[in-house]
Amino acid sequence: MDYLVAVLLPQLLHGLVFGAALGLLALGLTVIFGLLGVMNFAHGELYMLGAYAGIAVIGWTHSFWVALVAAPLIVGVLGAITEAATLRPLYRREPLYGLILTFGLALVFREGVRQIYGGDMRRILPPFTGSTPILGMTYPDYRLFLLAASSALLLAIWLFFTRTRAGIIVRAAVQDAEMLDGLGVDVRRVFTLTFAGSAALAALAGLLLAPVFTVYPQMGVEMILLAFIVVILGGMGSMGGSVVAAVVIGLAQSLFSLWMNPQRVAIAIFGIMIVVLIVRPRGFFGREGVLE
Amino acid sequence: MSRVLTWRALLTLAALAALPAVPGLPRYYLLLAFDALLFGAIAMSLDLLMGYTGLVSFGHAAFYGLGAYATAILMERGVLSLWACLGFSVLVVGAYALVVSYFATARRGIYFALLTLIFAEVVYTFFRYTQTFGGSDGIQGLPDAELWRGVPIDTPERKYYLVLAYLALAYATCRVVVTSHFGRVLVAIRENEDRARFLGYSVQRYKMAVCLISALLTGLAGAIYPIRSAFATPDLMVWTESGEFIISVMIGGLGTLVGPIIGGVFFTILRDKVSSYVDWYFIVIGVVLIVIVLFMPKGLLGFRRLLGFKQWRATA
Repeated sequence: MDYLVAVLLPQLLHGLVFGAALGLLALGLTVIFGLLGVMNFAHGELYMLGAYAGIAVIGWTHSFWVALVAAPLIVGVLGAITEAATLRPLYRREPLYGLILTFGLALVFREGVRQIYGGDMRRILPPFTGSTPILGMTYPDYRLFLLAASSALLLAIWLFFTRTRAGIIVRAAVQDAEMLDGLGVDVRRVFTLTFAGSAALAALAGLLLAPVFTVYPQMGVEMILLAFIVVILGGMGSMGGSVVAAVVIGLAQSLFSLWMNPQRVAIAIFGIMIVVLIVRPRGFFGREGVLE
Repeated sequence: MSRVLTWRALLTLAALAALPAVPGLPRYYLLLAFDALLFGAIAMSLDLLMGYTGLVSFGHAAFYGLGAYATAILMERGVLSLWACLGFSVLVVGAYALVVSYFATARRGIYFALLTLIFAEVVYTFFRYTQTFGGSDGIQGLPDAELWRGVPIDTPERKYYLVLAYLALAYATCRVVVTSHFGRVLVAIRENEDRARFLGYSVQRYKMAVCLISALLTGLAGAIYPIRSAFATPDLMVWTESGEFIISVMIGGLGTLVGPIIGGVFFTILRDKVSSYVDWYFIVIGVVLIVIVLFMPKGLLGFRRLLGFKQWRATA
């Protein structure tokens, strides 16, 4: 019982916190993939840029909260510019080109940040410290806030896609962009704005997780690999699947790390993916013929 | 001349073979030429997947690195025979490639890129953190390999001729593949996978087969790398390395055999020159890649049309 409360429970909460943030990242990947047919290899770098934009804004304003609003905006604008300048000319070509292009973008972003900020680890201090007793243990306030913020965001995204006209237009574009274009919607604007939105979400995840993790130019690489696993597990193109798989991976990651060193954890998570792929080749919620 | 052995290929090979005879050429450039041709050959075998079959592999570094480790592990234990090292590499890389290609081709589309990448990262993580294989330092300070007993591959010239022999073998293999019926089916799969399936071809089996060929050629390149460098490190299989192979293919020209070789040579020399002046060469390389994707999707070979050459599609 002591073990349960003192070790297992906090670790489960850690996993949930991490999984929710990972879900934000994977969701952006899924939507962009559905929309543009391009798996965005630079998504991890947008996540990383969010954290660095946060550092910059905190440097000017000394406020984490201002950064939490400004950093996603900055990265969102950067995403919109990037999409319009580089991905838009490739719509009519095979997806292969877009895939390779985003890899080039990732190199440029990562190395650019390393040149500006240096390669060393940085930290962002949490905006508040202290902890709250819940369920018989004490848990850091910031992580509780992180869980609440990520969950609220996921809920907001769900409402956006189901209840707003803009959200329905994006889903329609995923289904059949050409038809939507024929119906008089400016599809190119939809693409650019959605890309900006997904970039902003990645940046938000990066900044929210920064006080828990460390900030360094390579931080996106590890996350993007996990996010890829999440997208595969959830079922390609399934937004709900991405979120469920993200939570599963988050929980698995933190539970495994109780018993194994980090490298083994990476391999164990990979093992989970292989098992799922053997049992359910389309992932949790993948449907036949969707985005194949 | 046959369809594999063309005059042009033989002349190029002869010219390359004469390179060490250039008077006053610093030995350093022979080793750079080694790297350049090795990179070119890897890019060419990757192009069997990317250009001909339409599958982007982000995990070729794992084939390369596994080949290198197979050689290094044998040489560290005193087995110096080149042939033993090559054989062992083929076994290791082949077994791994079978597993990867099975999972990666079971589903269509983007799964191939993602799964090859994830598999390769696991291999990287394994070698990076396993102390038996030297951890992050890898296996260092290897002796010279021997062609056969008493004939060590020690001078830069001998190493250069080794890579040249490998390049010739790889080119001949790729040439046979793309001019055969098998190669035409690959192009058919790239152009319209459903139709290829309706025509009765087992698409997954073809994809696995070409993946295996490409992986084995890349693995052989990995196997001879430690013979030149005397080490194998986990850095050989980090995913940016796979990216560099892809960049080489794109620079040279997707869907050709000569293009990626030129691309690999160009890339290696660019990296060597740029990285000796600035430490932000990844930005240069990233920008080169972006520019090529956007403005010259046929790569350097696209210039042939400007020079008045006949343009040919990658249907052969």
